[in-house]
Amino acid sequence: VISLRQRLRAWFESRLPRTDTWTLTQRNVYIVPTRAGFMFALVLLVMLLAAINYQLNLGYVLTFLLAGAGFVSMHMTHNTLRGMTLHLKPPPSGFAGEALMMEIVLASPKRLLHGVGVGFEHAADRSHDVFVDVPGGGQSVAHLALVPPHRGWHEVPTLRIETRYPLGLFRAWTVWRPASRALAWPAPERPAAPLPAAPASAGDSAATRASDSGEFDGVRAYRRGDALKRIVWKKTAKGGDLVSRDHTASVQRELWLDWQHAHATGTEPRLSRLAAWVLAADAAGIAHGLRLPGVELSPGSGTAHRRASLDALATWS
Amino acid sequence: MSADLAPPRRAGPPQASGDPLGGPADVPDRRGLDIIPRWPGWSHLPRDARDVLFLLAVIAWTIAPHFAHLPAWCLGLTVGVVLWRARLAVANAALPGRWPLIAVLLAAMVLTFWTHRTLLGKDAGITMLVVLMVLKTLELRARRDALVVFFLGFFIVLTNFLYAQTLAVAAMMLVSVWGLLTALVLAHMPVGRPPLARAGAVAARAAALGAPIMVVLFVLFPRIAPLWAVPQDTLAKTGLSGSLRMGGIAEVALDESVAFRVRFDGPKPDSQRLYWRGPALGRFDGVEWQRVESPTGRGAELEVRGQPTPYEITLEPSRLPLLPLLEATPATRGDAPTLAGIRASLRSDLQWMTARPVTERLRFSARAYLDHRHGPRRDDSFYLREYTDLPPGYNPRTLEWADALRRRLPEATSEQLVEAVMSTIRSGFTYTLTPGTYGDDEGRHAIDEFWLDRKQGFCEHFSTAFVVVMRAMDVPARIVTGYQGIDNEPQDGWYLVRNSHAHAWAEVWIDGRGWVRVDPTAAVAPERVIQSRALRPQQGAVASAIEAVNPRLLAQLRAGWERFNNQWNQWVLNYSRSEQFDLLERLGWRSPDWTDLAKLLVVLLSTGALAGAAWAWWDRHRQDPWQRLLRRVRKQLEVLGIETAPSDAPRALAARARRALGPNGEALAQQLDALDALRYGRAAIARPSRAWWRAFAAAASR
Repeated sequence: VISLRQRLRAWFESRLPRTDTWTLTQRNVYIVPTRAGFMFALVLLVMLLAAINYQLNLGYVLTFLLAGAGFVSMHMTHNTLRGMTLHLKPPPSGFAGEALMMEIVLASPKRLLHGVGVGFEHAADRSHDVFVDVPGGGQSVAHLALVPPHRGWHEVPTLRIETRYPLGLFRAWTVWRPASRALAWPAPERPAAPLPAAPASAGDSAATRASDSGEFDGVRAYRRGDALKRIVWKKTAKGGDLVSRDHTASVQRELWLDWQHAHATGTEPRLSRLAAWVLAADAAGIAHGLRLPGVELSPGSGTAHRRASLDALATWS
Repeated sequence: MSADLAPPRRAGPPQASGDPLGGPADVPDRRGLDIIPRWPGWSHLPRDARDVLFLLAVIAWTIAPHFAHLPAWCLGLTVGVVLWRARLAVANAALPGRWPLIAVLLAAMVLTFWTHRTLLGKDAGITMLVVLMVLKTLELRARRDALVVFFLGFFIVLTNFLYAQTLAVAAMMLVSVWGLLTALVLAHMPVGRPPLARAGAVAARAAALGAPIMVVLFVLFPRIAPLWAVPQDTLAKTGLSGSLRMGGIAEVALDESVAFRVRFDGPKPDSQRLYWRGPALGRFDGVEWQRVESPTGRGAELEVRGQPTPYEITLEPSRLPLLPLLEATPATRGDAPTLAGIRASLRSDLQWMTARPVTERLRFSARAYLDHRHGPRRDDSFYLREYTDLPPGYNPRTLEWADALRRRLPEATSEQLVEAVMSTIRSGFTYTLTPGTYGDDEGRHAIDEFWLDRKQGFCEHFSTAFVVVMRAMDVPARIVTGYQGIDNEPQDGWYLVRNSHAHAWAEVWIDGRGWVRVDPTAAVAPERVIQSRALRPQQGAVASAIEAVNPRLLAQLRAGWERFNNQWNQWVLNYSRSEQFDLLERLGWRSPDWTDLAKLLVVLLSTGALAGAAWAWWDRHRQDPWQRLLRRVRKQLEVLGIETAPSDAPRALAARARRALGPNGEALAQQLDALDALRYGRAAIARPSRAWWRAFAAAASR
């Protein structure tokens, strides 16, 4: 029975278009009574019986008032979602096994909306849903954490946006398949293996000093291309001119991070080690290149280079 | 997984060095020592605490009308728990565990059983409901717990109507329902600290929009008879319940609600002659008077004289299986009440019984003979023995007093004995509605205390004491309960008989005459009977003050209130099956029955549902007006042979027009540019304007 249900659900989901902007209309908002709603109906029935048996006209009034309010609440619940527009911002990249934050923008054209929950359709329980209020004519952002299990491209899982507002008797929801994909970099090895020594052929004596990563030898005037974290802000604040830390290593060394030198067993551990090296080299400000079978990134440094290296590791196959 | 989650708690115990970050964790412990926590001010309360306090206030308000009839322990528990829960909320302290609650619940069940001798029935049920409700507030953790509180709350609102359905109670309960709905809405606003007023407005909106549904259902939902018998304890409002316990009531709570309305076809008889007969009580166990269940064999032996008094009664639902008819209404055709849907018969004690409790309004006419005789005329010791019975060991001093009177008048007839006792009552007894209780803890010897010591009371004291004294002298006697008199002024031709007209009088059997009515209350408070004043207590301070300043104003206020209340009674409380059928007849049905009601209801509801579906269909096909306009524009352009794409903005369309038509299309392109400005420019407008479309159509046709 369960597998049939799952198959039905899969079939249903496969019919949904993949899109990053999802406008909620009569067509794609569904609504059913919650357990509390059924309970409420039962309570109303018992109250009606009491009103009949004790011939209480005010009992009838109360029962019917609550029935009317419950019925209206169904429309209010449905109205909360209907007309809303959802937009998924391009998801950031992150390391496999770590949470990457997706930003979902909810926009309400007219009314202030309360208690809209955003979560994954296939989540084991709904306690991780993120609740937001959406101002009328404005937007609000829900942050959902996606934990990619391994490196590579990941489709954003099917999302569910649901609400029980205002009385909790009905649950309205929509199922949304975003089109965006998220890239997961290989999880860096922990603890990281030491960076490989520069090849002997490059060999002047200064290279041997530089396997450590943060010791700086002095300061010098800022040059274009220096990383922000190398700027000595204290001195800059005093003097007014930008001053950078001067690493002997960074100027003198050119480090190749090579698949061949990552001595780990298996593809993924190797990629993990390379990812850790990329991070270490970047933190140390060492210009580094990347060599993978079939892929070669010439040495460089900075955020963009780091990103390119990690992307290459993530997509290499 | 969520970024909105609070940052993880610091691991390890907070440092003792007054680390500012360690503060919040140990604050509750420190505050827990104070009995009354520091009040941070309403606007500084944490959201949870504020919601809990609001819910507690709503619960207290809902239970408040029950305070008068809850047992003392339950009242104490309620007040204690509510105050304690409020303290926990303000101090942000932990809730008690599950086991103490279960222990308290069990104790409450034992106490309920001890108080009410049962766990079922109305009073015990309400006590348990209140206990459950207040204990549940100590368990408010998840949303599910909150829902249980709401559902219990709605039930308690309903139980309040078992005691009173007055306007005041209705208004109070309306506030309760609103409060409960508001709390329910609050529970579904998980983000931030939404203001109470907003939740209240949403709740009010839901209720107000649901009101038409309520009205339709209330008016048309077929009123049916109770599905099963309800326990009688819910019903005894007045002395008509078929039993009487003298001295148990310290003060009569006057019920000014209408028992029935009566209209006379002919002159209105003097109101002191209007006795509306209910159950006759002949069996006395020393404390309580009961009906003689099956008066042996003999018929009513009613013999009528003189002209009949025709009358018409609209009886309010009394939920009692009887008709309080004017003495004496015989069972002969033409005199007996003409009833539809309910069977009525005359008992041999001259009481009109119905086959089932009267649960709807009844309207019927009948004829009574104020001049009549009934009961066996000749001595029939087998039949009459029942009516001279006194339980041994009760009220010994009264029996002695009666013996002494009997010895003083050895030759006296029954009539002379009656006269002797009545003259005793006339000298030295006082009529009051607040006599206090009589008798010892179990209600014994109440008559001794009344007859010989305190000598003040109202009709039930006088009639019971009179009957006991007569029986002690071997004169057969019994109590009759019913109503006496009518309101002085008719309303629209109908005289009101209120529940405060309830009365108890006596009948003695006299050889040769049968049962003869004696009203000892009339001897001590003749105005009670002659002017037919309904029992009316002392006025409250406010009423006295108003009366002192302006007597007319008080009368006017009272009359206005009466009228308003009357409308309420007519249209809400007494709205029953007959009103439903009247309504259908006015709408054109001929001899409607309940299936017509059901049909009309179904038709109305399905019409509403269809209208809703139609609206949904329309809404589904509704488009943004700008998009609709753009579609029309594109259609128009394609007629002119200009290719367009669905994603084209007006500006892009203008460019296409320029490309395709060259200088000829300039006017058209300018219109499209103008549209672009209207939509996206600095002076953008919210909805497309018709003027633009006219200008565009003109440019296109050129």
